Amino acid sequence: MKIVVLVKEVPDMESKFKIVGDAKIDESQIAFKMNDFDEYAVEAALQLKEKFGGEVVIVSSGPDRVTKEVRQAFAMGADWGIHVSDPQIDEGDNFVVAGALVKAIESLGGVDLVMTGVQAEDDQAALTGVFVADMLNFSHCTNVVKIEVGADQKSLTINRELEGGLNEVLEMATPAVLTIQSGINQPRYPTLPGIMKAKKKRLDLKKAADLGVGAIGEAGSKTKFHKIFFPVSEHKAEIIQGDAKAAAKTLVDKLRNEAKVI
Amino acid sequence: MARILVIAEQRNGKLSEATLELCKAAKEIASGLGATPAAAVFYKDDSIAKEVANYIPEVFAVVDAKLASYDADLFVQAVKAVVEAQDVKGVLIPHSYDGVDYAGKAALAIGAGIVSNCNKAAVEGGTVVFTRNTYNGKIQEQRSVKTDKFVATFEKGAYDKEAAGGAGSVTAVSVSLTDSRRKIKEVIATMAGSVDISQAKIIVSGGRGTKEKDKYNDVIVNLAKKLGGEYGASRPVVDAGWTDAARQVGQSGKTVVPVLYVAAGISGAIQHVAGMKGSQCIVAINKDPEAPIFNIATYGIVGDLFEVIPAMMEALG
Repeated sequence: MKIVVLVKEVPDMESKFKIVGDAKIDESQIAFKMNDFDEYAVEAALQLKEKFGGEVVIVSSGPDRVTKEVRQAFAMGADWGIHVSDPQIDEGDNFVVAGALVKAIESLGGVDLVMTGVQAEDDQAALTGVFVADMLNFSHCTNVVKIEVGADQKSLTINRELEGGLNEVLEMATPAVLTIQSGINQPRYPTLPGIMKAKKKRLDLKKAADLGVGAIGEAGSKTKFHKIFFPVSEHKAEIIQGDAKAAAKTLVDKLRNEAKVI
Repeated sequence: MARILVIAEQRNGKLSEATLELCKAAKEIASGLGATPAAAVFYKDDSIAKEVANYIPEVFAVVDAKLASYDADLFVQAVKAVVEAQDVKGVLIPHSYDGVDYAGKAALAIGAGIVSNCNKAAVEGGTVVFTRNTYNGKIQEQRSVKTDKFVATFEKGAYDKEAAGGAGSVTAVSVSLTDSRRKIKEVIATMAGSVDISQAKIIVSGGRGTKEKDKYNDVIVNLAKKLGGEYGASRPVVDAGWTDAARQVGQSGKTVVPVLYVAAGISGAIQHVAGMKGSQCIVAINKDPEAPIFNIATYGIVGDLFEVIPAMMEALG
C-alpha cells in the first residue's frame, strides 16, 4: 500500500505561552514537537505497511524546523518525505495549507491511503484532513479508532468514534483519507538504528511554485485572522496557598467543614 | 431575508442538545445581522423536523430513507441543496463527532469559509467575528470569513439551550441523493466493563500529569479508596493503557455528577470538562497555574500532585 501521513509540528502544550502584540505567540520560549494525533497516524500507517508492504511517505508543511518531526517519523520507520516549505503557505489558513498538501499528495500518484491526526493540538480546527479528502475527491472518515484492511488491500472496515463510548463501524474503499483519534495504538519509540537511518532518508523540499499551489498566503485564505488573547474566566478556583503539606491540610479542612462533601 | 441555518443533529431519532444550543446561537447571530434564524433537518421522516420547529421559526426538512443515520456524503449534498434553494447567509453545525466529519466538506461545497470549534460569535459592523479555543484552551483566537457565506461549528455548551414553545413552519426540500461512499455496518459499545463510575458520589481522576501506570495507581487509586469513592481518568491515561476505558470521564467517555470530583494532573481540555463540569465540588491539583481546569474548579492547589496527594492522605488520617 502507498500511504501518505500528514504530520504537523505544534508547540508543547505545557509551554509557558507569551503573546506578542495580539497576533502571535512568542516562539522563542516554546519547545516544538510532533502533533500527538499525527504520531498515532504514523504508527497506524507503519502497522499497515508491516502487514501489506508498500511505503509510508511523510508530508509536512512548515518552516525549516519541522524537518525534526519528519525525521522522527523516519526514525519510527517511514520511508521518505516531502517538506512543503514556503512562508506564503504558512501564512494561509487551513484551506491554503490543505490545498498545498493536496498538491504534494497528487505529485506522488497512486496513493491508497492518506492518514493524519483528527486535529492539531495548536489550532484545534479538525479541518485539514476533511479538506484534503474533499479536494482529492477521496472518501474519508474522521475520529478513526480502528482500521482493518481486506486481503484485496482496497476494502476498509473502519471504527469511527462517537460520543459516550460508542463506535460506528463503517465499510468503505480506498483511496481514502482517515483522520486518526488518539489511543488507536501505542506509537513506537524510534530506535537508535532507526535514528541513524533516518538521517539518510530522502526528504524533498518543495515551494508553493514547485507544486503549482494556487491559493497562497492571506489572499488565498477563506478566513481572516483577527487576534489572539488569553481567556478571561468569570470563575476562578479558590487557590489554596502554602507548601504541599499546608495546602493539603487546608484543602481537607475545607472539604470537611466548608463544602461538607467528605 | 437572509437566513442563519442550523443543521440539526440526531442519534437514534433523539435530537441532540447541541442542536438546541445552536438554535439559540442562530437567533443571536441573526438578530445582529438583520437575518432570520432557521434550521435544516435531514432524517428518514419529518418527526425531528416537527420537533425542531418548537425551537426555531422556520425548518427545512430533507426526508429520505437514506438519512436514517448520519452520513458525510449525503449530509453535504443536503446542505448544498438547502443553501441553493433558500437565501442562506450562515450555516451553524455542532462541533461534535458527526459535525467535524462533514462541516469542512459542506463549507467547500457551498464555497464558504469555515471557522470551526467556536465558543462565541459577535456581530461587529456587519461581520460575524468568531471566538475559538486554541492551544489546548490556553489561548483564544478571533477569526471571521472572507466569503459571502459562512460555516461555523460550535463546541458543546457554547450557548444555552433554546427554550421550546415556538410554532415554526416545516417546509420540505426535495433532494435526489446519490449513494454514499461509505456504508454503516453497525454501532457498537466499546466501554463495556464491570464498573459504572457515573453513579459514584466521590471520584478522583488522574490525567497525563500522573506520568505512568504505577504512579497513577499509587496516587489516584489510593486517594479514591481513602475517600471511599471511585477512580477515574482523562483520555491520555486510557489511551496509554494505565486504566480501563470504562473509567474515562469526558465527551468520549462517561458523564459524571459526583458530590466531589478531584482532578489531578488534568489540564481541563473541553472534552474532559464536558463530562464532569456538573460536579458539585471540584478540586483541581495541577503544577501549571494557567491550566484551564482552575477556571471551573471550586478549590485549586498549584503544585506537584505527587507531593499534594500524599499530604492529603496524611491529613485525612
